[in-house]
Amino acid sequence: MQHSIGSHPFTTPPIGAARTEKNAFQVFRIATYCILLAATLIFGIIFSKGAQTIFVREFPFVNVAFLTQSPETLHVFEHEGQPHELGDREFRAYMEKRGNPSVKEESYVYSAGGIFPCIVGTFFLVVGSMTIALVVGISAAVFLNEYSRGGPVVELLRLAILNLAGVPSIVFGLFGFGLFVLFAPVFAAAPEAGHVSLPLGFCYLNFTGWGVSLLSGWFTLAFMVLPVVITASEESLKAVPKGFRDGSLALGATQWEAIRTNVLPYALPGILTSSILGIARVAGETAPIMFTAAYVVRDRLPWQVDKAVDVLFQGVMALPYHIYVVSSKIPQNEYTERVQFGTAFVFLAVVLSIALSSVILRNRMRARYRW
Amino acid sequence: MSVYWEQHLNDIREELLMMSGLTERSLSQSVRALLERDDALADLVEAEDSEIDELEKRIDGKVITYISTHGPMAKDCRFLITASKIASELERIADQATTIARRSRDLNKNAPLNSMAGIPVMAQEVQAMLRQSIRAFVERETSLALEVIGRDKLVDAEYKEAASEVEAAIMADPATTARELHLLTVAKALERAGDHATSIAEEVFYLYKGEDIRHSKIKGRLPA
Amino acid sequence: MIEVEGVDFYYGKSKALHNISLKIPAKQVTAFIGPSGCGKSTLLRCFNRMNDLIDGARIGAGELRIQGVNIYDPQVDVIALRRQVGMVFQKSNPFPKSIYQNVSYGLELQGIADKKRLDAAVEKSLRGAALWDEVKDRLHSSALGLSGGQQQRLCIARAIAVEPSVILMDEPCSALDPIATSKVEELIQELKKDYTIVIVTHSMQQAGRCSDLTAFFYIGKLIEVDATQKIFTQPANQQTEDYITGRFG
Repeated sequence: MQHSIGSHPFTTPPIGAARTEKNAFQVFRIATYCILLAATLIFGIIFSKGAQTIFVREFPFVNVAFLTQSPETLHVFEHEGQPHELGDREFRAYMEKRGNPSVKEESYVYSAGGIFPCIVGTFFLVVGSMTIALVVGISAAVFLNEYSRGGPVVELLRLAILNLAGVPSIVFGLFGFGLFVLFAPVFAAAPEAGHVSLPLGFCYLNFTGWGVSLLSGWFTLAFMVLPVVITASEESLKAVPKGFRDGSLALGATQWEAIRTNVLPYALPGILTSSILGIARVAGETAPIMFTAAYVVRDRLPWQVDKAVDVLFQGVMALPYHIYVVSSKIPQNEYTERVQFGTAFVFLAVVLSIALSSVILRNRMRARYRW
Repeated sequence: MSVYWEQHLNDIREELLMMSGLTERSLSQSVRALLERDDALADLVEAEDSEIDELEKRIDGKVITYISTHGPMAKDCRFLITASKIASELERIADQATTIARRSRDLNKNAPLNSMAGIPVMAQEVQAMLRQSIRAFVERETSLALEVIGRDKLVDAEYKEAASEVEAAIMADPATTARELHLLTVAKALERAGDHATSIAEEVFYLYKGEDIRHSKIKGRLPA
Repeated sequence: MIEVEGVDFYYGKSKALHNISLKIPAKQVTAFIGPSGCGKSTLLRCFNRMNDLIDGARIGAGELRIQGVNIYDPQVDVIALRRQVGMVFQKSNPFPKSIYQNVSYGLELQGIADKKRLDAAVEKSLRGAALWDEVKDRLHSSALGLSGGQQQRLCIARAIAVEPSVILMDEPCSALDPIATSKVEELIQELKKDYTIVIVTHSMQQAGRCSDLTAFFYIGKLIEVDATQKIFTQPANQQTEDYITGRFG
């Protein structure tokens, strides 16, 4: 049958379906733009307001003090007709120099100084908890994927992991408090009254808890992010072709040798990708660390201790907790706002940089273990 | 396929050549046994026939094995089928030689005849045809094969002459009938051998040209 | 070399092999043929106990002996067995490492680290697999850059690097084009001078071309086993004849 190009079956589209498609496309587009809008707003506001605190006009263009000092109380006063805003130490020095004149001053807590301890604290928390999470998570994934033979026990395990993912972060915080802060085992010379004590021959294992410390924070956060790591690791392991395992085994490898030399290296890029998600969560959660690792304010940095091992038992300040404290625990004014947005800015920067290094590491590994 | 396959084909080729050598020898020995009245030679020809039979069975066994296990195509397939057929023709030529040998023994029991009814000439011709058809196989020269086919006409004519000579001799001297009839059998055996040699040439032509020229009125080219 | 005596094999509750008995001679090529699901691959994978990896797979009855040793005896070390009985798979699975590392992998598993020794072993194996000339200038490039036929020959080199006595091949040419296939088949004819080879194949022509002994399986039973020549020209069993002439399967 001859058709002119206009009336040919190929060229006349069915009207109904095409219009529906166009509408659907518009809906999808709008939804995407909404997400973009939300992200732009959040990041935009934080960056623009935070930049006021972080960046200064002269060299080195970054507010170094903010990043390297501890928080201090801000004193706002007038003296000799000049308005001054000084942090605690500077204020005292100023006062001493002038012989402690009485001035009308208002003080604002945490609004001066810097957030260095918070940066350090968050950094330590992230590195420690991700290490624990990766080690435990990858091991669990290897067990579930390579060794387990199915059956009711394994199903129960998987169910437990799934449920873990749904536990609210505040519950994690309470769990961490109860188990690690109050009850975790500590080596000691003598048993502690009122607590469970296990004699080990050369010393005692006292279940007195680790207190508010890095250790408690690490384990709490690790358990929180474990389901994500396990799931992503399992997926990465599944993605490695069965032929690699079969080939290794047929050459006389034990199962662990086959996994170690021929499966894990190729699954690692995928596992590290999952860790990026974990990092963002671990860095940003406040509730789990509120009771287990974080102090509102702390003078000493974690490494300022007598014995090296004591570092593990130090509590720290953390960026998300600091934002919480500065935003809700103290009265709000223009001065606190500076600190809030500055901290938020730094927080985002820290998370981004950790994620970036993870991406770089993953890309390097991918290039090396390409398959 | 592989070097091993080539080796298989070469094995068959060599066995075929060995068989053709034995057949040529049988034929010439049988003719000599007749013309020189040599009984010992006739016995030898008859004894050696079994060796030629064995070769035919060996070649056929190999051919069926290679066809069924390797499923050869094109020239390889034609080669194997042709080899089997050539082996069969050679075996029949050898049988004709055995016939000649037996008749020559019978003839030797009595007095020699005056004339051999053109058998020596026929024998030369047939032996030459066999040699040439094998040469055509070895050298892959289809023109030689065509020549052989042409020469068969000569052999057929020579047989007719021999038959008339025998008829005349019998009518001239009926006492020689038995001996003359032996001679006729020998002439017939040679004519048949010629036909078999012609078949070999046709098979060789088919092997190298892929054209089946059996039963056709192809004149062939007569030797110069 | 390999003796199978009255072997039954189960996947869970379903019986995959029924009372299989056959002897596989040393330094010859034995082919297993039969339609899909007849158990030939199952039996092959019993020889190096790769079936152990499958849940519920077990020998129900009978004995499987390699060089006189019952390989399902609890005292047998599966790892050592797999070094003696190598395997080449249907889909060539070169590791995404370099060509050199692929071949040396099996030796490195055994703890061999001496570079000279590894170099020599790699060259010997690649030569044995008729691959040395093609790859000697790019030993440290990725194995994934080779063509399909070369990859399969690499897998063969990898298998012979650990110096097994038996090589099992599970449809090694099914993913290869005719030229690569004929190269591998020629290689098999070379390898049988030094190794016992058992090959599972869907292609009867391949069994005809390559093997000295052919075993025909059907629905888990061994129907007939004989010299390849005999099976292909005059099989004793009607079922075998029907399969070979293509009347079923």
